[in-house]
Amino acid sequence: MSSISVRGVVKRFPNGFEALKGIEAEIQPGSFTVVLGPSGAGKSTLLRLMNGLESPTRGEVRIGDEIVDTHKLRQIRSKVAMVFQQFNLVDRLSVVTNVLTGRLAQRSWVGSVFYLFRKEDMGIVQEALARVGLTDKAWNRADKLSGGQQQRVGIARALAQQPKAILADEPVASLDPVSSEEIMALLREICDRDGITVVVNLHQVELARRFADRIIGMNSGKIVFDGRPEQMTQSVLRTIYQREGIEDDNSLDMALAYA
Amino acid sequence: MSIHDLRPVRSQDLPPKPHNPVPVWVMATLAALWLILWDLEISFEALAYGVEDMGEYFSRYGQPDFSNLSRYLELMGITLATALWGTVFALLVAFFLAPLAARNFTPNPQAYRIAREILNFMRAMPDLLLALIFVAALGLGPLPGALALGVHTAGFLGKFFAESLERVDKGVCEGVASTGANFPQMIMYAGWPSILREAMGYVLYILDRNVRMASVLGLVGAGGIGLALHDTLRLFDYGQSAALILVILATILIIDYASAWLRGRLG
Amino acid sequence: MTTVSTWRWPTPSGWLPLPLVGGVLVLICALWLTAPMVEVDFVRLIGSLGKMTAFAGQMFVAPDWNYVPQLLAKMLETIEMTILGTAIAIVLSLPMGILAARNATPHIVVYRVTRDALSLMRALPELVWALVFVSAVGLGPLPGVMALAFVTVGFMGKFFAESIEVVDQKAVEGVRAHGAGWLQVRLFAMLPQALPDFVGTVMYILDHNLRAAAILGLVGAGGIGYDLVMSMRLFQYDRLLLIALAIYLVVTLLDRASDRLRSRIIHGRQA
Repeated sequence: MSSISVRGVVKRFPNGFEALKGIEAEIQPGSFTVVLGPSGAGKSTLLRLMNGLESPTRGEVRIGDEIVDTHKLRQIRSKVAMVFQQFNLVDRLSVVTNVLTGRLAQRSWVGSVFYLFRKEDMGIVQEALARVGLTDKAWNRADKLSGGQQQRVGIARALAQQPKAILADEPVASLDPVSSEEIMALLREICDRDGITVVVNLHQVELARRFADRIIGMNSGKIVFDGRPEQMTQSVLRTIYQREGIEDDNSLDMALAYA
Repeated sequence: MSIHDLRPVRSQDLPPKPHNPVPVWVMATLAALWLILWDLEISFEALAYGVEDMGEYFSRYGQPDFSNLSRYLELMGITLATALWGTVFALLVAFFLAPLAARNFTPNPQAYRIAREILNFMRAMPDLLLALIFVAALGLGPLPGALALGVHTAGFLGKFFAESLERVDKGVCEGVASTGANFPQMIMYAGWPSILREAMGYVLYILDRNVRMASVLGLVGAGGIGLALHDTLRLFDYGQSAALILVILATILIIDYASAWLRGRLG
Repeated sequence: MTTVSTWRWPTPSGWLPLPLVGGVLVLICALWLTAPMVEVDFVRLIGSLGKMTAFAGQMFVAPDWNYVPQLLAKMLETIEMTILGTAIAIVLSLPMGILAARNATPHIVVYRVTRDALSLMRALPELVWALVFVSAVGLGPLPGVMALAFVTVGFMGKFFAESIEVVDQKAVEGVRAHGAGWLQVRLFAMLPQALPDFVGTVMYILDHNLRAAAILGLVGAGGIGYDLVMSMRLFQYDRLLLIALAIYLVVTLLDRASDRLRSRIIHGRQA
């Protein structure tokens, strides 16, 4: 099991926007971490640095003791899986084939280019689908499923990679409250049973409180809170969610009361 | 606010009318067209006389002579086969070049530029020129025609495929990429499945186009029915020419309907 | 052998789906059966590779610079034919488009006849029409322009008709409610709505017609086509190279220009 370490990371985009302004964090193996914060805080960017979808302008990100480097992406991604807000499944392909893409890092192009997989891969897929409870939908086309089901396929795909860590970028933002519960519970269960490190981006405070071991609060590219859910008081929440320049915001407190 | 606070509103002048470039463009285009007419020495008199003559001329095609029908049908069959082979060849070449020519899939910028240039080159060369070259190398017959069609339309198909690939949803690509897939795997899982419908539409369109072009490639000795038409027209045999044109027309219309129907089934 | 049992396809049966296998088999059969008709002979192909490279080598001789003025004149003629033919076609296809649109045509019979006529005009390649027109009005760029215009009307007429058929009825009702006559309704309510896709289509047509115009000369209908074929037949490779280069340059320039124009329009509309 690997830890994820972020050291002195600054990320500036080509248009000048500085999404991350110096991040230091160490994620323990097997832990369930939630990154909380308003839109534009840099949560997505932080997660995407961890599997190489973005590269830091300064500083480094490590998985275990390997630096996340554009030349070693295949290696890194065989250890780190990602679950997306928009599910990002290939619509035309069946659920099984989508989950099988999780095995691509382990297979050279020779068989996989012809959609040929080994029996072990099919076994791993079967297990993953059973884990997320979608065995009966195995041969359906991915776009014919509901949002919650599609996200479960996304999680099954991540499981098929047999990763050390799963990153979930706003996995429930497009789902209804019941499905959101299911997905978060599923992620928590995977973390507990398999000891996989899970890092989740959320903007729902309640979900964060209920499922996380550790909450990292971000605002405007900086970490403003790092601790246990119990330590997240009202004033901490205000710090996380305040917009720049607005110190005392009644409406913010109101909104947070309902979050 | 009381009624005494109301003041009469001064009507303001409308802002100056924005400069409308359209009339300038229209005048420029008309001027250019006039110049062209003059340069090409196209006189409306010739056309007017021609129209009269043309009425009489087209009436000569009134009695199609189907005496050679079986031979014409055979030639048409060869033409169709030429188009098929050309299209399949184009499909194979485009299948391998298009992913390299798609900005979001290509493994490196050099490969992208080279693939794009190759596709552009294949598109730019008229099939006729290619057919001439292949006839010089392979001799007369339908094979050089098939090759010429194949190379030329590979350029089109490749460009169409590449543009479709570039429109694949970024999220889908990231989804597959995040599993650690390499270039060939990305293409086969995130690329082709996402554009399958469009791609098949393009292939049918190109097949349609190739049937038309195959009919005329015969004019340069690349086999098929074009040569027969050239000969009958040269001998002023309007009856046979009419028959030939009708055979070509009928075939093209059938292929058109079939491909439109197939494309309807796909869409 | 363990290979059969270890590899699987992602289908319930583990094998490829039947429609896919069927389709591919049909295609292979079709190719197999037609191979002798097309005289496909891989041996001959490979053998001729040598000839083709030798030929390509022959092409790279010192160009015939004396030919350049004539080349430029002929290329200009080709471009002019393209522009003129396309312009005439656009003008002529406006009324045709109105007649061939179900919601704008004066009578259902007119609609049917026009649609079929447009279909016929589109069906044959430009070269065939050029052959016929040369036979009718003689050699020169005129039959070439006619052939290009003819086929383009077939295409543009259908395009306009389809655009008119999807216009927003509310705008039409609005204009009609103000007392607009038959022609005015079509000119002021229907056509303007059909115009936005117009530019993209025109660029595509110009692109296609330029390539077509380049070969019409083969049958004496003007443009660079005649020189192209003759230089080949007379083994004048020093000219052929220049001609091929000229065609390549002009076609590519138009391609780039139309790409840029198209992206300007797409982004312009979003701005």
